[in-house]
Amino acid sequence: MKILGISGHYHDSAAALVIGGVPVAAVQEERLSRKKNDASFPLGAIEWCLDHARLSPDDLDAVVFYEKPTLKFDRVLTGMLQGWPKSWRSYPKAMKNMLGEKLWVRGLIASQLGIATRKVHCIEHHQSHAAAAFLIAPTQEAAIVTADGVGEWATLTAGTGAKRSDGSSEIRLLRELRFPHSLGLFYSAVTAYLGFTVNEGEYKVMGLASYGRPTWLNAMRKLLRPTADGAFALDLKYFDFLGKVESGYSEAFIALFGPPRRSWQPIDLESVDGQRFADIAASAQALLEEVIVGIARDLQRETGLDDLCLGGGVALNGVANDRILRNAGYRRLFVPSAPGDAGCALGAALYADRILFGQPHKTVPDHPFWGPQPDESALLRIAEEDGIPASLSISLIEDVADALAANKIVGWVDGALEFGPRALGHRSILAAPHDAAMRDRLNRDIKYREEFRPFAPVVPAEHASLFFDLPAGGARLARFMSGVVPVRPEWRTRLAAVTHVDGTARVQVLEKKMEPRLHALLEAFGRRTGVPVLLNTSFNLAGEPIVNTVAEAYSTFRRCGIDLLVAGNVCVTKPRVIRAQILENVA
Amino acid sequence: MGAQSLQDDAPRSPAGGAGGAGHLGDLFGMILWPVHRFIWADPRRRARKLLEFAAVEAAGGRDLVRAAELTGDPELRARYLVHARDEARHADMFQARGRALRTQVAGEGKEGLADWMAPGERGIDGLDLRVEKDADLLAFLHLSESAAARDFARYARVVGDDAATRILFQRILHDEDEHKRYTHAQLRRVAPQRSRRFLWWARMRRLWKAYLRFATALAGVMAGAILTLQYFLLLPPFAWLAKRNRGRERPGWDEPGEGGAR
Repeated sequence: MKILGISGHYHDSAAALVIGGVPVAAVQEERLSRKKNDASFPLGAIEWCLDHARLSPDDLDAVVFYEKPTLKFDRVLTGMLQGWPKSWRSYPKAMKNMLGEKLWVRGLIASQLGIATRKVHCIEHHQSHAAAAFLIAPTQEAAIVTADGVGEWATLTAGTGAKRSDGSSEIRLLRELRFPHSLGLFYSAVTAYLGFTVNEGEYKVMGLASYGRPTWLNAMRKLLRPTADGAFALDLKYFDFLGKVESGYSEAFIALFGPPRRSWQPIDLESVDGQRFADIAASAQALLEEVIVGIARDLQRETGLDDLCLGGGVALNGVANDRILRNAGYRRLFVPSAPGDAGCALGAALYADRILFGQPHKTVPDHPFWGPQPDESALLRIAEEDGIPASLSISLIEDVADALAANKIVGWVDGALEFGPRALGHRSILAAPHDAAMRDRLNRDIKYREEFRPFAPVVPAEHASLFFDLPAGGARLARFMSGVVPVRPEWRTRLAAVTHVDGTARVQVLEKKMEPRLHALLEAFGRRTGVPVLLNTSFNLAGEPIVNTVAEAYSTFRRCGIDLLVAGNVCVTKPRVIRAQILENVA
Repeated sequence: MGAQSLQDDAPRSPAGGAGGAGHLGDLFGMILWPVHRFIWADPRRRARKLLEFAAVEAAGGRDLVRAAELTGDPELRARYLVHARDEARHADMFQARGRALRTQVAGEGKEGLADWMAPGERGIDGLDLRVEKDADLLAFLHLSESAAARDFARYARVVGDDAATRILFQRILHDEDEHKRYTHAQLRRVAPQRSRRFLWWARMRRLWKAYLRFATALAGVMAGAILTLQYFLLLPPFAWLAKRNRGRERPGWDEPGEGGAR
C-alpha cells in the first residue's frame, strides 16, 4: 500500500510516505519553506514526498492525518466552557483558529490533494507518537510511553507494542493522562517563565538547568503532585492555560517563584536573578525526571519488558532519557530521530499500514535519512560564479580531517536530509572538540546563541565507551543523539568544547553502517589528534531551520565563520577577504 | 544631528523610483503626524515598536538570504547577501536600543489600536520567493525600502528628545538609501526596457496586499465581536454543565479512548 502521513497546524508540520510498509520519504515543512518550526499545512513536504516516489495523489491508497480534529475541538471547547467567564478573551481566538481550518482537515486534505475524502483518515495524536516510537524501533516487543504538551485529550500515555511472528502488529495503550494534567505543559510553562519561546526554548531550559541547583524543588512539587495511582496532577492554581495561552503560568506561579525573566533580558549567571533562573530550571528538570522515571519504572514492573519506546516532545529531553535508561529497569531505550510532532507524520502512516489496514510488519531501516539529497554539482557552479575556489577532491576525507585538526570549522553536507530536529551527520557543522575556545568561537561567529548552551559530540561506536560513561543500552539511545551522558573525567579537558558545565554531553554514537563517510572522517581525525571525536552541531544559523539544499548551505557558509564547505566530494574554502568581512560584522 | 537636519538628509527617490506612491505616502504621513507623535512619545511604546522592528528586520534579512539562494543571477546573489547582512545588523541595532529603553522604563507598553499606523519595514510582505521573477522581487524591494525610509525619517522626527533613537534611525536611513539605489539599478539591469512597468505592477500588488491586511484585520474584529457575543449569550448554560462535570473528575490515570473530559 502507498500511504501518506501528514502532521501539521500546530508546530513543526511534516509529511512522510510509506510504500509497501517501508518509509521512502519524510521531511519537515520548515526544511523546504525555510520558516523555522513551520506549522502550516505541509504542502511543500507532501509535494516533495510524492515527487520523490514519482507518484501522483491518485496513486495513494490512503492519506493519514496525525490526530483527530473533532476530539481536539471537543477539548478546546470544553476547556473554554469550564473556564467561563475567564476564558472570554481566548474564546474568539480559539474558535477562529479551530473553525477556520483545523476542524475541517479531512476536507482540506482531500481538496488540496484532489482525492476522495474517503481516502483520508485521522488517528489519535498519541497513537501516532506511539507508532513513531515503536514501529520504527528494532524491537519485537516493548513498553511504550508517549508524553508531550497535549494531543486531543491525552497528554501522556503508557502501553505496550508487539510485532508478532505472523506479521501482525499491535499497539495497546493501557492508560492515559488527560489535559490539563501535562508534563509537557508544565515544562513549557517553566520555559515561558524563563523568557524562552515555548516549543522551541525547552532545550535552553535543559542547558540552563546544568548551571543551577534544584533549590526550588519543594516549590516545584506544589505545582505537580503525585496521585495515588502513580500518575500526577497539576495544581491549576499555578497555571493559566486559557487566559495566557502563550505563557501558561499564573500570578500564583509568579508569587511562588518571583518575577519572570523577560525575553529580552540577558541571563547573567553571576547575578542573583540569573542564578535564580538557573536554579528554577534545575528544579523543573529534576521534577520532570523524577516523574517520567517513576512512570516508566511502574510500567516496566507491570509489563516485565526489557525495551522501552519513548515518543512525544518530552522524549527530546536527553537528560531525562539517560535517567530513564539508568533507573527505570529497562535494558534498551528507543527514541526515534523525530519523537516530536513532525515524527507523527511517519508514525501515522505506519500505524495505518500495520494496524488500520493490517499489513504485515516490515523492518524499517534504522536511520534518520529520509529527506532530499543534495546536488554537489550546484556547489561547484555557484562557487565558480562567485569566484570562490572549489575543488573536486579524491582525498577529501583526509583533507577535511587535516583542516579540522588545524582548528578549521567545516560545513558538512552529505546524503539525504535528516528527519527530526538533530543534525546527525548529513547537515552538520563539524569542528575539533578539544578546546573551550572553539565552543566560544562557534557561539560568537556562527550560532550566535546563548553561551550556556552546549555543543554535542559525535564518536564512532567502537570508541564511545572510552570517552563517555554510557549506561548499558546507552549506545542505542545515543544513536540519534537522544541521551545526555557523562564525559569520562579524564577526557573532559581534551573534550572541553563539547563537555557541558556539569561534565555531560549529548553524544551521537555513530555506527559505520549508518554513515560510513562521517565514520571515516572521525577515524581520520582520530589518527591526527588521538581523539576520534568531533563537535557536531546543526548546519543552520540562529532563527533558521537546518539547511536542506547546497545553495542554502552555501549562503550559510557565506554569512558566518565556517571555513570550509563540503558537499559530497566538492570542497569550497572561504577566501580570506570574505572571512575578514564576517569577522568585522561580528565585531 | 537634529530633526531638521535629518529631514534634509532624508533619502530622495531615485528617478522613476517610488514616485507617485511616495507622494501619497507623504500625504498620509502628514495626516497621521499626530498619531505618530502619540505612538513614539511614550518610551514604553517606543521600546516595544523598536523590538518589533528588530524582529521584522531579522525576518526580512532571512527572506533576502532565501532570495539569494534561489536566484540564478550571481550579481543579485551577492547584492542580496550584502543586503541581508545589513538587515541583520539593523535588527541588532533596533534590538539593542529597544532593550536599552526597556531597562530604563518599567512595564511592557500595551499594544494600541494606532500601532498599525506605524508600520516600519514589511520586507517582501509574504511574496512566494520560489515563483517570483528577479525583476518582480527587485521592484517590490525597491518600493518597500522607499516606504520604510519615509517611515523611519518620519519617526526620527517625532521621537522627541531621545537622541539615541534618532541617531539609530539616521544610521539605518543611510543603508535604506543605498538599498533603494541598488534595487533600482539592478531592476534596470535585469529589465532595461520594462523597469517602470515592473514598478507599477509592484505598486499595485502592494496596494492589494495593504487592502488584504486591512480586510483581514476588519474581518478579525467582526468575527471577534460576534464570537464574544455568542460567548456571553449562548454559552452560559453549557458552561454550567461543563463546570458541574469537572467537579466529578478525579485526578490520575484514565482509560484510553475517545472520550472527552471524564
